[in-house]
Amino acid sequence: MAYIYYPGCASEATGKSNHISFEAVAHALGLELAGEIPDWNCCGATLVANAIGDFAQMALACRNLALAEKKGHDIIVACSSCYLNLAWPNELMRINPEFGKKLNEALGAANLSYSGKLKIKHVVDVLANEIGVERIKERTIKPLNGLKVACYSGCQTVRALRRPDFDDVEYPQVMGRIVEAVGAEAVDFPLAARCCGGSQQFANPELIYDLTGKVLDSAAAAGADVIVTTCPMCAMNTDVFQEKIGKLNKKKYKMPVLFLTQLMGVAFDLKPKDLAFGYNIVSPYGKLKKYGVKK
Amino acid sequence: MTADKGTSRYDPTFARELSKMENGEYVSQCMQCGLCVVTCPARHLMDLQPRKYFKAIQAGDKDKVLKANTPWLCTSCNLCTVRCPRGIPIIDFMHGMKKYLADTKGAKVTPGALFSKTFFDNMISRGRLWEAFLTGMFYLKAGPKAMRDAMKMTDVAIPMVMKRRLPPLPGKAVKGKKDLKKIYKKASALAKEGH
Repeated sequence: MAYIYYPGCASEATGKSNHISFEAVAHALGLELAGEIPDWNCCGATLVANAIGDFAQMALACRNLALAEKKGHDIIVACSSCYLNLAWPNELMRINPEFGKKLNEALGAANLSYSGKLKIKHVVDVLANEIGVERIKERTIKPLNGLKVACYSGCQTVRALRRPDFDDVEYPQVMGRIVEAVGAEAVDFPLAARCCGGSQQFANPELIYDLTGKVLDSAAAAGADVIVTTCPMCAMNTDVFQEKIGKLNKKKYKMPVLFLTQLMGVAFDLKPKDLAFGYNIVSPYGKLKKYGVKK
Repeated sequence: MTADKGTSRYDPTFARELSKMENGEYVSQCMQCGLCVVTCPARHLMDLQPRKYFKAIQAGDKDKVLKANTPWLCTSCNLCTVRCPRGIPIIDFMHGMKKYLADTKGAKVTPGALFSKTFFDNMISRGRLWEAFLTGMFYLKAGPKAMRDAMKMTDVAIPMVMKRRLPPLPGKAVKGKKDLKKIYKKASALAKEGH
């Protein structure tokens, strides 16, 4: 049963390499995708509910669920905030019929409806629990032996449903299983599910410097060579702001930040254009040279 | 110090007024345990940490609540929500609070409010986000001090543009933009009705 893919807005800008490498890794593992949700719209990220309230934001996000249902496919999501904004109202429909009724009233204004029957899956969940680590191991051509990885799940992926779903809400483990399947070592990383500051880069930059600094310190203390994440916002804050935070904290982190599917792509020996390292700010080439990654 | 009727800074109707806003019904459930405070990653920058914020609402300290930056520093990390022993979805409450503050005269105007509003305007007009435009609009609207802050961000912005992570031109807009506006209008009306 093929999934239909929801790329989210970051796939067009800050998280482009997540999108490119996800599609390539999905293809390499034979994960069937029924294309993108046609005419998908922004899920609202962590900001729209602040301006218009929860319900209106969820209704706008759920237009995507109505469009996917027309196509008859469950949804796969590669971005943490998108996952939360699609999976949470989906969960609410399951636990609160009243909400479902109201939601359909709102969607009805655009002649759309949604039954609440779709499954909405995060990429990490599908990789670990449906494709499975055995298949990922089998597909690995260049095992990443000796590479120490800090698996940075962040907040919204593991806490989207506000209960343990495919992973623990405080101590995520699942990404580590995938990282180990491609031969790398997942280091003990206490801040794996702690906040980087999210989307406060412009409104409260000092919050980003502080929280992302703590995450970088924790990964460095754990002896990580690289940080791996699936969240475009975590990636932006740890990668793009790394040098700036380093100056503030008088440290040279030199910690490349990879999307999980970029790391898997290295082990799968995918083409450079599919690895999309051209988008990385902190250069990953030094750390990945011994695994055959060339500029 | 006399607490004559009419001069007290406490407004006994405030908590009731807030309980009518979207997700406002949770405010009375807080039992002041403080777990959200030790959990919150942004507590050190808040005028009132979450526990005190709930207390101020319950006590009717309206002016203090309207002036506090608390909700605007919430990053939506969801950690307090999964930990709260009373099961208060604090993240939802904060969303409601932010909308309430944005719509209320006398509330503190914060960069967070402006950024959220700018983000929504961008989303509803195109259906998808155009990050470069959003950033530019935010700094333009935020005034001269913000423009100076923007200059401090050039060391971050230039590599992002160079690495094509902040495309200066927009991607495709959504064909169903009109549908989004219809859904938004209807959903807003329904949310008001429910409270």
